[in-house]
Amino acid sequence: MLDTIPARRHSRRARPFALALVALIGLSPALAPRAQAAEATLVIARDMDITSLDPARAFCDTCQIVLSATYERLVDLGPDNRTIVPLLAESWEVNADQTVFTFKLDERARFADGGQVTSADVAWSLERLKHLKGNPSFLMDGVAAVETPDARTVVIRTTAPNSELLGILAAPYAAVVNRAVAEANGAKAGEGADAADQADGWFLANSAGSGPFTLAAYAPDDEVRLARNAGYWRDAAPVAQVVIKQVKDSVTQAQMLQSGAADIAMQIDADTAAGVTDPNVVIEPTASFNFVYVALGAGADGMPISMTRPVREAIGLALDYEGIIDLTVAGKGRRIAAPIPNGFPGTEGLPLPARDLDRAKALLAEAGIGGRVTLEAVYPSVNIYGVDFDILMQKVQQDLGDVGLDLALQPVTFPVWRERITATGIPVTAVYYAPDYFGSGQYVQFFGTQEGSPWYKRSHVAKAPDAVNPRIPDLLAAALAAPAEKVDEAFAAIAREMIADRIILPVVSPDLTLAYRKGVKGVRYSACCNLPLAEISVE
Amino acid sequence: MAEAVRIRPGLPGWLTPPVAVGLAVVAFWVAAALTADLWGLADPLRMVARRLQPPSGAHWLGTDALGRDVLSRTLHGARISLTIAAVVVAAAVSLGAALGAIAGFVGGWVDGLVMRLVDVTLAFPPVLLAMAVAATLGPGLENAVVALVAVWWPVYARLMRAQVLEVRTREHVEAAIACGAGPMRLLTRHILPLCWTPVLINATMDVGQVILLAAALSFIGLGATPPTPEWGAMISEGATQFYSWWIAFGPGFAILTVVLGFNFLGDGLRDFLDTRSAR
Repeated sequence: MLDTIPARRHSRRARPFALALVALIGLSPALAPRAQAAEATLVIARDMDITSLDPARAFCDTCQIVLSATYERLVDLGPDNRTIVPLLAESWEVNADQTVFTFKLDERARFADGGQVTSADVAWSLERLKHLKGNPSFLMDGVAAVETPDARTVVIRTTAPNSELLGILAAPYAAVVNRAVAEANGAKAGEGADAADQADGWFLANSAGSGPFTLAAYAPDDEVRLARNAGYWRDAAPVAQVVIKQVKDSVTQAQMLQSGAADIAMQIDADTAAGVTDPNVVIEPTASFNFVYVALGAGADGMPISMTRPVREAIGLALDYEGIIDLTVAGKGRRIAAPIPNGFPGTEGLPLPARDLDRAKALLAEAGIGGRVTLEAVYPSVNIYGVDFDILMQKVQQDLGDVGLDLALQPVTFPVWRERITATGIPVTAVYYAPDYFGSGQYVQFFGTQEGSPWYKRSHVAKAPDAVNPRIPDLLAAALAAPAEKVDEAFAAIAREMIADRIILPVVSPDLTLAYRKGVKGVRYSACCNLPLAEISVE
Repeated sequence: MAEAVRIRPGLPGWLTPPVAVGLAVVAFWVAAALTADLWGLADPLRMVARRLQPPSGAHWLGTDALGRDVLSRTLHGARISLTIAAVVVAAAVSLGAALGAIAGFVGGWVDGLVMRLVDVTLAFPPVLLAMAVAATLGPGLENAVVALVAVWWPVYARLMRAQVLEVRTREHVEAAIACGAGPMRLLTRHILPLCWTPVLINATMDVGQVILLAAALSFIGLGATPPTPEWGAMISEGATQFYSWWIAFGPGFAILTVVLGFNFLGDGLRDFLDTRSAR
């Protein structure tokens, strides 16, 4: 990969000569800027978290960017981050009880190798997503069957009504893969594919999709290189090449933007962004769907107090939400009511949390907690979405100290944290979450304290009966079966349940800082795909 | 020595300018560690002003990302860093010197066993070994101390053994043996008193190195846990705040001066005590 960045310099140096030649042979000089833009390379500085580039195995923020550029799904999420728009499917129908979804594929849709995208490819890809049993396989949990009545028609049947299926199918992991190419390179889709499939390595170096780009090269801890798909079936991408460079920290990303070594960076924290004064760099904070939350281990081992609902409520009331947003993201973030991102179904009009020390102290006194109590606070020592968890937890420590709860802070690595929370639970901790697709169901399944849910286990709720919420499964089923106009109301009811349970206390939804060089157009944040590369052009 | 006395009449021979500077700096930081609470500074653990304020009359070294006073944290940090250094050096000297003395005095398979253990330990790069031990034990100052002792003891074992091997062949020891002195008496009364000088000099020089390595462990998150005002941890916090240079400046300057101070002091001590080092 040593030739990667120099290659870009070469092309820049070569450009004046090429242009001179064009002028010499008498072509219109007006063509020159267009030729330049068409050959542009877009460089993105990013701390990458790539686990795999196989759509059915990958599960990471950077994967969303790469997969949505190299593959396409049946449907896409529109620029308003709410509306489902056509992609491979030109139209679709949903039956009344939302269990049968019929898609008509666009006749023009072609893979990068020129082959037509057929319903067989769609069925094979979704089947593979399910059977690989990888991180994103849960997306196919409610899918009973994928049928292909003809080459252009796909029928998806779900086991229960699912108003969110279209949102799920817009996730980059539901990518449609060129079956013939993938199978020739060891991919399997049927039962037992998790053991039989050998294509993970092949997908790290190649792509087999119909997206506006193809994967040209991937060097772990170095860069991902995408090349424009020359035969793309819709409008070709404005830039010829995209290079995502591995750049770990926020400060270096900012410096690369200022020096012109990078065109876009999305992980510059608010304090660093405030220090960037270069007029050639555009800094654009935008609301994100990511959030950071404090979580309580209602049934964690070895607590000196019993973490009943009033105690959990007191902890929620002791947190200084405005102060936390000011300290962790320099005020560039928003409060969030429930563990569902602002802007997702069911979040409008929910009561935002606020500090009330008197009420918190009164609740603790009623619960018989006088004097000072020390609680363990093991947390992952990470810096994510611009939030330094060391700073966050020191602030939480100060806030809870005001009501007599002393936190013993223990920063650990993420794997150690995961082991601790699974084994013994952690009285007070903090974690983060980013959406996997547009829809509130994933949050209810993950954060609700219904039996068997991830946070039912992590909070060790089985040992804290007042934290179990048996109403959630029925409410969720109702929300997923609700007609479009009732979905918000149904999810709002669940959100209120989760707020009252007070296991998850969301503290901040950090703004995302979109930072890019002047002249770069079309940069936007997408709830499904993070950064849609095909919309970006360089002047 | 005689030369030095001639150059600066009225001053003790060991008090060369570097030693004087070293002594003054070390004395300052020891005093700071003992009296940090009496300076009337803000609570090092509480938010006292707006965050990320540059140095000003109210906060001489500015405030950090949580709005805490950096000067107060730096001075309180002396207590932690110097305590770690003292405990680590004392423990490493005690353990290393004891094992080294036994190895040198007893010889045979005991010597072989101890020295191979020393060789194995010294074969690891010190920073990597400290990181490995600290990472295994988990973050926390106590664990960092254990990790540092694990790195430092072999140096003293080797030093002490060499000294014991040399001293035990001296005539006064043979005389003591002839007079019927037992092994314990030989070691404690006739050999060890003559072995301490290089150990002491080394220990003084090592204080600075221990502070450095302890700060390095905290910097990478394996030492002090928040909100402890440990210098390495503070520099780590400052490193993420690129445009707020003052957060890392206080603890950085503290480490620089205290390590330099101990190095100067150790140098002077060697010149004074070690008759073999020619000037």
